[in-house]
Amino acid sequence: MSRPRVAVTGLGVKTPAGTSVDAAFDCLLDARSRAVHVPELVARDLAVQFACPVPNFDPAAYFNQREIRRLDRGAQLSVAAAADAIADAGAEGAAAPDRTGVFLGTGLGGILPSTMIALGWDTDPSGMPVDSVARVMPTAPAAWIALRFGFRGPCLTYATACASGATAIGEATLKLRAGEVDMAIAGGVDTPIGAIIVAAFARIGALSLHNDDPAGASRPFEATRDGFVMGEGSSFLVLERWERARARGARIYGEVAGYGSNTDAFHIVAPIADGTVAAACMDAALVDAGLKPADIGHVNAHGTATPLNDRAEAAALVRCFGGRPPPVTAPKGVTGHLIGGAGAFEAAVALLAARRGVVPPIANLAVPDPDCPLDLVRDEPRRIPVAPVLTNSFGFGGHNATLVLVPEP
Amino acid sequence: MTMPSRAELSTLVRTKVAEVLGTPVEEIDESTNLEVGYQIDSLELMEIGARLEAALGIRLDLRELIGVETVGQATDLLTRRLEAQP
Repeated sequence: MSRPRVAVTGLGVKTPAGTSVDAAFDCLLDARSRAVHVPELVARDLAVQFACPVPNFDPAAYFNQREIRRLDRGAQLSVAAAADAIADAGAEGAAAPDRTGVFLGTGLGGILPSTMIALGWDTDPSGMPVDSVARVMPTAPAAWIALRFGFRGPCLTYATACASGATAIGEATLKLRAGEVDMAIAGGVDTPIGAIIVAAFARIGALSLHNDDPAGASRPFEATRDGFVMGEGSSFLVLERWERARARGARIYGEVAGYGSNTDAFHIVAPIADGTVAAACMDAALVDAGLKPADIGHVNAHGTATPLNDRAEAAALVRCFGGRPPPVTAPKGVTGHLIGGAGAFEAAVALLAARRGVVPPIANLAVPDPDCPLDLVRDEPRRIPVAPVLTNSFGFGGHNATLVLVPEP
Repeated sequence: MTMPSRAELSTLVRTKVAEVLGTPVEEIDESTNLEVGYQIDSLELMEIGARLEAALGIRLDLRELIGVETVGQATDLLTRRLEAQP
């Protein structure tokens, strides 16, 4: 008997590139960075004073005042993205509540409300808001999704740093294949745009320092790249067992066909330079999908624009694809790095790109790094045949996750 | 601190309830049942209590607060607590 297939039937995004899937994809095609100066960071005169916030997100479109008081920004973005994905899939009521699970990845959890509460109530801890614990717990966004829709299957929060969103989608896929759930709301979130958090990432030299040119700062695979740009956002996919999705007449974007997950066990924040373990992760995802490297039409790279990541990822891609990787794109040139939200957003847009046969160009790619010998999509969108896509997410801690997505016409 | 009148306490309670529930204060009166009308949960009730404590400079017993159902009962509880102040 063949293995159960997992269909992607809904997409929802709240990201710097846009708050609807089509707007976000168009923004990527346009390849213009969404990084801007952030008043709080400028006012504190930090080493890094810019980031990629989600513009024009109106909580009142999703929440009443009572909910707005209770849900912090990460939970709001998550519930809104999940609600969009569920509406897109026409999925409400499509599976029994106790057969529906929520799978959310977050690299930093409740770090934004944590720092705000710690700073605001340092001199009067006993006066902090009653719901402080409910705000800072990393499981809050997933729990609010379950609460809103009444989903009573597993509600799980995964932390694999910057790979978390992809991990959540991969793990949800395994649960669906195993028959533990009929429907999964899978995605990720992070809201790291706050002075303490940005300063912390700046301290380890991970961030671009181009305060004079925020929109030109995020330069994946470019020769002069100097670090990533912090972003915020959430994205969710609705995943269903294939036959059930077909039976109810759902529109199917494609299939989560392969998932690879492994760990460098090399350094707490640096990748292995030769990319061997990341390449093994990609190999595993391809094997899981039953595909060969030559079947892949394009690659959605993790492409953070840190000097170390992009070089190691390029080495891994060359290794995995036998020296001839397919066209490579990297959305973080536009969106910055959404941390736990990145892998989920990029899974969504990678599947769209694969389905539409058009790959968005990499923003700010003036001079490709000669140490990254890849077919980098630049300047304008690239037309490709409709074909499976491989998308990478790598996290501090050495966490690697790769998804292989197969578009459905 | 001068003991507020019952009417003043009632207005204060209605205001804090409205803040936490995100409703116009006019929607809340003494007969408003927080459980039946708003499905208030324990964290929201405690947040209302915390805001009343801060406004009045008193401490409230959480167990007493959990027993409160209507805005009028909350006002009565506050009145008793303030009258018992030394």
